[in-house]
Amino acid sequence: MWKQLHNVALRAKRNPLTVIGLFLVAVFLLLAALAPWIAPYPQDVWAVHPEERFSPPSTQHWFGTDELGRDIFSRVIFGTRISLRIGMIVVVLAFAIGVPLGLIAGTFGGLLDEILMRVTDMFLSFPPLLLAMAISATLGASLENAMVAIAIAWWPWYARLIRSEALSIRERDYVEAARAAGATWVRLLFRHVLPNSLAPVIVQASMDFGSVILTSASLSFLGLGAQPPTPEWGLMINIGRSYFLTHWWIVTFPGLAILITVLSFNITGDGLREILDPKAERW
Amino acid sequence: MKKGISVFLFRMGLASLFLVLTVFTLSIVVIAQELQVAVHLQGAEVVPYWDPSDGASGEIGLMNNLYEALLRYDAATNTFTPILATSYEQSEDAKTWTFKLREGVKFHTGNVMNAHAVKASIDRTIERGRGSSYIWSPVDSIEVIDDYTIRFHLRQPAPLDLVVAAGYCAYIFDPAYCDHDWFIAGNDSGTGPYTVESSEGSEKVITKKFDDYWGGWEGKHFDRVVFLSVSEASTRRLMLETGQADFCEQLPPTDIEALQDNLAVRVEVNPSFQNLMVLYNNQRTPLDNALVRRAMSYLIPYEDTVAVGLGGYGYVSRGVIPYGLWGYSDRVETFTYSPTVAKALLTQAGYPDGGFKFLLTYPAGYEDIRKTVELWRAACAELNITLDTRAMPTAERNAIARSPDPAKRQDIYLLYWWPDYANPDSFLSGMFYTQERPAYNLGYYSNPVFDALIDYAITLPTGSQEAIDMMVELQNILQRDAAGIAVWDMQYLRAMNTSLQGYVDNAAYPNVVFWYDCYRE
Amino acid sequence: MLSYIVRRLLIGVLSLFGASIIAFTLTRIIPSDPADMWMGPHATVEQIERAHVELGLDKPISVQYCIYMSKFLRGDWGISIVTKQPVLRDLARYLPASIELIVFGMLVGFAVGIPLGILSAAKPGRGMDHISRVFAITGVALPSFWLAMLLQLVLGKELSLFPLIGRVDLLIEIMNPIRRITGLYVFDSLITGNFAALKDALWHIVLPGLTLAMYPLGLATRMVRTTMLEVLREDYIRTARASGVREEKVLTVYALRNALGPVLTVGALTFGYSLVSTFLIESLFAWPGLGRYAAKAIVSVDYPAIMGVTLLVAAFYVILNLGADLIQAVMDPRIRLS
Repeated sequence: MWKQLHNVALRAKRNPLTVIGLFLVAVFLLLAALAPWIAPYPQDVWAVHPEERFSPPSTQHWFGTDELGRDIFSRVIFGTRISLRIGMIVVVLAFAIGVPLGLIAGTFGGLLDEILMRVTDMFLSFPPLLLAMAISATLGASLENAMVAIAIAWWPWYARLIRSEALSIRERDYVEAARAAGATWVRLLFRHVLPNSLAPVIVQASMDFGSVILTSASLSFLGLGAQPPTPEWGLMINIGRSYFLTHWWIVTFPGLAILITVLSFNITGDGLREILDPKAERW
Repeated sequence: MKKGISVFLFRMGLASLFLVLTVFTLSIVVIAQELQVAVHLQGAEVVPYWDPSDGASGEIGLMNNLYEALLRYDAATNTFTPILATSYEQSEDAKTWTFKLREGVKFHTGNVMNAHAVKASIDRTIERGRGSSYIWSPVDSIEVIDDYTIRFHLRQPAPLDLVVAAGYCAYIFDPAYCDHDWFIAGNDSGTGPYTVESSEGSEKVITKKFDDYWGGWEGKHFDRVVFLSVSEASTRRLMLETGQADFCEQLPPTDIEALQDNLAVRVEVNPSFQNLMVLYNNQRTPLDNALVRRAMSYLIPYEDTVAVGLGGYGYVSRGVIPYGLWGYSDRVETFTYSPTVAKALLTQAGYPDGGFKFLLTYPAGYEDIRKTVELWRAACAELNITLDTRAMPTAERNAIARSPDPAKRQDIYLLYWWPDYANPDSFLSGMFYTQERPAYNLGYYSNPVFDALIDYAITLPTGSQEAIDMMVELQNILQRDAAGIAVWDMQYLRAMNTSLQGYVDNAAYPNVVFWYDCYRE
Repeated sequence: MLSYIVRRLLIGVLSLFGASIIAFTLTRIIPSDPADMWMGPHATVEQIERAHVELGLDKPISVQYCIYMSKFLRGDWGISIVTKQPVLRDLARYLPASIELIVFGMLVGFAVGIPLGILSAAKPGRGMDHISRVFAITGVALPSFWLAMLLQLVLGKELSLFPLIGRVDLLIEIMNPIRRITGLYVFDSLITGNFAALKDALWHIVLPGLTLAMYPLGLATRMVRTTMLEVLREDYIRTARASGVREEKVLTVYALRNALGPVLTVGALTFGYSLVSTFLIESLFAWPGLGRYAAKAIVSVDYPAIMGVTLLVAAFYVILNLGADLIQAVMDPRIRLS
């Protein structure tokens, strides 16, 4: 046990980027957990102070104030909660639908594959925005419904990706050998296909984190998804667009927050794969 | 090994760079500009409606340069300028109106404009019944007296001079070229100074001067006018600053402030007939109680909404008729921001502790409205009233508001309102006259006394003392009931290139530049 | 091979049909009223009701669908509620602009991303690998409309290097109009020898194109790196190396060939996805593309336009996917078409 951990630590040491990523992710999780205690003006999620609007960054307001005089630093801190939640829930939901379906289709092939892929195609061939919009509109505009909507538009990507991986793995010698040796399908699936096909999907999922946050921002822009004054980063950028040229800080800080969060998740996801993937040792 | 690839990639890069450079050296420098080109920016689409009979929205800026009406109304001086009509007279009872038409006017198609064309144009607009065509509803028949004289017979007295001067649906076009499909393919058959040269969807229209324009082309004018839709306010501002645009309507106040230091840009602040309306659901508890509606109205921080929402470019409303339009009066009662009064009213209504949750819908994409809503929400929260505010697309919002099932409707509906012509009645009957199936009476207000007074008011002569008194009375009924209230009256902010001369703002034609009158200095 | 293609196309048509039913149902169950958009603001009760009849909204959904499909198959895609133009004409107008932009973005993205991925995979864990990974990850993580604003502000406004918006300068358009053949300005001006317009069109595409390029760039770098690392472990690569094939050749010919397959698949998906998902960028750059058209249509529940866009994008998706699969099969002999 200790030895394994030690090995992981060793590999991590060789990969400084991953350590930075992990550190940033930890910081963000902490910020999200402790937001009410860290944010200097926690009431600014809802309250307005019109007389203090458009103050540039200062010692009092580190990131300045927005068009209604709210402290942007506090709102960005609270935004970690919302944005992290959106990203996690959507990716997990999409993962939970897409991966099993893609795996089954790719491993077993035949009619099952055909049917599953046609359904996937139908969903994929939809403009995802339309799908998300229609679902949010039918369920009623709210952040929760927007998340469900995005996940429904998102899963086919994972299904397809993992299927094409599974397809090529299925053809490999060791899988053929295992099959010939009479391995059960459960064993085949979990022992051979799943572990070997997950890597690109994890890459994709970690990359999607940001796209999900941005997609939810687009929905907010259309009047679906998060509603003002929710301190959602994407929504903050969308509203700040109108003031970007005169008051740069309104858009810049939420944008940086998205960038850094997504970066750290991507680096971590990427790095963890290399650290934990036993095949990496062969190199 | 790595070096090998690098060299390979480097070579590839060089090759593509070379290709790009070749293209650029081949390109010919554009001949120095001889043409005078003006660029008109707007946020909304340039031509939502190509058909001159159908218009009702953003195409007003373009269409008033392609087409002309019989008269033009000057909102600032309350006078009429003859355009296609040279003179007119009305009968004593305001039910018969006779117009003398200008001779020697040609359509862009080459045909001559005469009384038959005028009759055919207006008849077609009435018959299609689209857009703002209901402005013609008082007209019973149109009679051609001779080639250049035309007479309107009305069902009831109406200010027909204002109607024929409307910015929408009053255009005269060539009846020989009025096929709907021909129009929407991007063609025009007006008499205006400019005609369409090319267009790209509803986003961009390039117009050129019409050589046979009756006004002639003596003096300085633009040869081409480009109408361009740029949805991002920040981009519009950048284009103005960099001289890529000459005129821009409706920039956000924050951008206006920034532009005021820029010597290349001139900013004009003009009155408008547009205000922000709040419609309370008069049929749902507890908003069916006038005391609660009044309490809500005392919770809007009016001064702050003008300062923050409009950047100070506007007025706190006094009644539903906006500042500058006849019928606006300081005799109309008004609400102020006062949580104390609100609290007292709520107590009187039996809700001393608030505890309501209201669904408020407002149009998505308007910063001034959003900020106003946020301020109101914060003020309501102090009295334990929750505003569930939703920015929504119009189509969805109106479906909720017009739902046959009253339980599905919203509690509070916010909208911009502006009249289709300089007509205060539009504010009163449009949103408050009893409607069995609501179109824009989305507060579902129904008051027989109010309705009867409206029916009487429209028979009174335009702008007469009696008519003004009536407007004041009608507004006071609404204010006492707090049926629905206006929050602020906007000012229109126009930013233009300093070199642009000749622009005169006219509140009766919002967002219109009569480009024929403009030139570059 | 041929029968495979025919079969795939037939299945494609079937999934288009399915998509059309879902899309129609979705657009019709949204509680929404396109009547104002059709008649204009301040419409009267009578006008609103007439709009419902004119738009066929008073009939049952199944009947509406049948009417729509029968017209659709005869080439009548309906009239857009927003633009009041035939949907087919709108699509023909907006699609080329989108394609031009996306192709440019993807070409730039792949042209930079694939080499970066190769460099990364050639020596994983070394300096170049770290640099290209940071580059790639940033590319994917950048909020694209945030980047667009930054580019506009710095390169467009402050340095005045590139035009802010549009596809071609207005003066160029008036003086050297581009003859519309395909609707791809760069292509049209090139083959008609209109070099002034060509230069200008290229100039205009740089900023939105760069904005769009970041995502495929990051994607390509990462996909190439990941898959190449896997491919490089395979026996045949070892054999090739052992038998003295030059490393340059191993990487670019043997390994890259197989690694490109997944990149192409993802590329095809990204292309189809980008057709409508780029509306924020199109909006910022006033690019008259399909994304903005679709977004407007969705917001206004402009169902003829939504149907048109959906079916068009769906058709693209079917064809692109087939293409990607075919190319993948040709390049990677391990995959058999079935």
